[in-house]
Amino acid sequence: MLRFLNSFWFNFKEYIILSVLVIFSLFIISQNHSPAVQKVRAIAFGTFASVTSVVSDIFNIKSLKKENEQLRETNAKLMLQLSKLREAAIVNDELKEMLSLKDTSGFPLISASVVSKSFSRVQGTITLNVGSSDSVKVGMPVITDKGLVGIIYSVSSNYSIARTLQNVDLKITVKDERTRENGLMKWNGEKLVIINVPKTYQIKKGDRIVTSELSSLVPFPIPVGVAAENSNVETGIFNEIQVIPFVDFAKVENVFVLKTVASKEIDELELNFLKKFQ
Amino acid sequence: MKTSYLFSILLFIPVLIIQTTIVPLISIAQVIPDLILILLVYYSITEGQIYGTVLGFVYGFAFDLVTGSLLGSTMIAKTVAGFVAGYFSSENKIDIYLMFFNFGMIVFLAALVDQIIFSFFSAFDISSNIFLIFFQNAFLPAFYTALLSMIIIIFAPKKRIL
Repeated sequence: MLRFLNSFWFNFKEYIILSVLVIFSLFIISQNHSPAVQKVRAIAFGTFASVTSVVSDIFNIKSLKKENEQLRETNAKLMLQLSKLREAAIVNDELKEMLSLKDTSGFPLISASVVSKSFSRVQGTITLNVGSSDSVKVGMPVITDKGLVGIIYSVSSNYSIARTLQNVDLKITVKDERTRENGLMKWNGEKLVIINVPKTYQIKKGDRIVTSELSSLVPFPIPVGVAAENSNVETGIFNEIQVIPFVDFAKVENVFVLKTVASKEIDELELNFLKKFQ
Repeated sequence: MKTSYLFSILLFIPVLIIQTTIVPLISIAQVIPDLILILLVYYSITEGQIYGTVLGFVYGFAFDLVTGSLLGSTMIAKTVAGFVAGYFSSENKIDIYLMFFNFGMIVFLAALVDQIIFSFFSAFDISSNIFLIFFQNAFLPAFYTALLSMIIIIFAPKKRIL
């Protein structure tokens, strides 16, 4: 028996090692959400990000000049918009006061830089140089001046990883700014799409898509992109609408983390409401 | 053997830093080459199939840990890629396999296997055009990686110095 095992090992050791490692990898895949794995991951990427941030800073200096010019241009445009918005804000405040509505704007922003990127076409993630010591928490939205980049997924003390919109595991409720129709947007490995859109919906090419108030991840509207192609599925009652994002994920370097997570109070309230009718 | 494992793992750290910071800057339409795979194929050819398989497992584990991708997905992909590349580890043909074009073809094959497995475990939408997804997610990155590997292999040592 021992001789047989010995000869078996000698003849097939490459395959045995491969099989053992593949089985172990599959086991690890199944353990992804366990707290122990999350903790090890937070320590590992925190340590690694502290090194990559140095390299990243060196390369960012080159692009700073170009970015500075763009920012100046954006600043001028914003200044013009601001004067218009001030007028609108005054009217808005008066109207809100008259209707006794709560102010939901004015969330603080945490400035951050991207220290490394993982751009597989299906699992886009970016590592940011802010972490729990900067009050970053899992679930906070990451934005740029153009729109939504992603959602914080894992946090260590000084660094955090965010899933970008080009990640198959991130699904966000969005709405058409013009028609106010809601839908679920996700990355299908190829493009950003709003899925299961009823054929009766009036979403047209060129419509601005923003995050919906219905979203449990982003509590108020943030620009996402523009509606592009309508897939016009022949069978069934639903369509798919392609969304071209405002943010170029390959070029994003400086971002803001929106210091808000979807309200637990709202979640609990909605859960109790559902339980009541079950 | 143990020392060579240690050196290959130490070499992995700067390559990983370059992969996550500098390599995205040379992406073409979001297609990026995989430097880690080139290193893995090099070691698989020069050190053997078992070495390549185990090293692929270690590289994949470290990559998954620090990048936030699904833990285990790169592990399994790199393990199999190292195994496949290890088929080209014949003791007396190393110089032939490390030649410009041959090395590129081996890297292309290993990268194709690596990317297909990674895409499969990354759970993309199966209702999408599967051939288009494999073309974009596997073929194009594999081709780009193979091209880059041909440039790198010109400067790489042909003996087991690394």
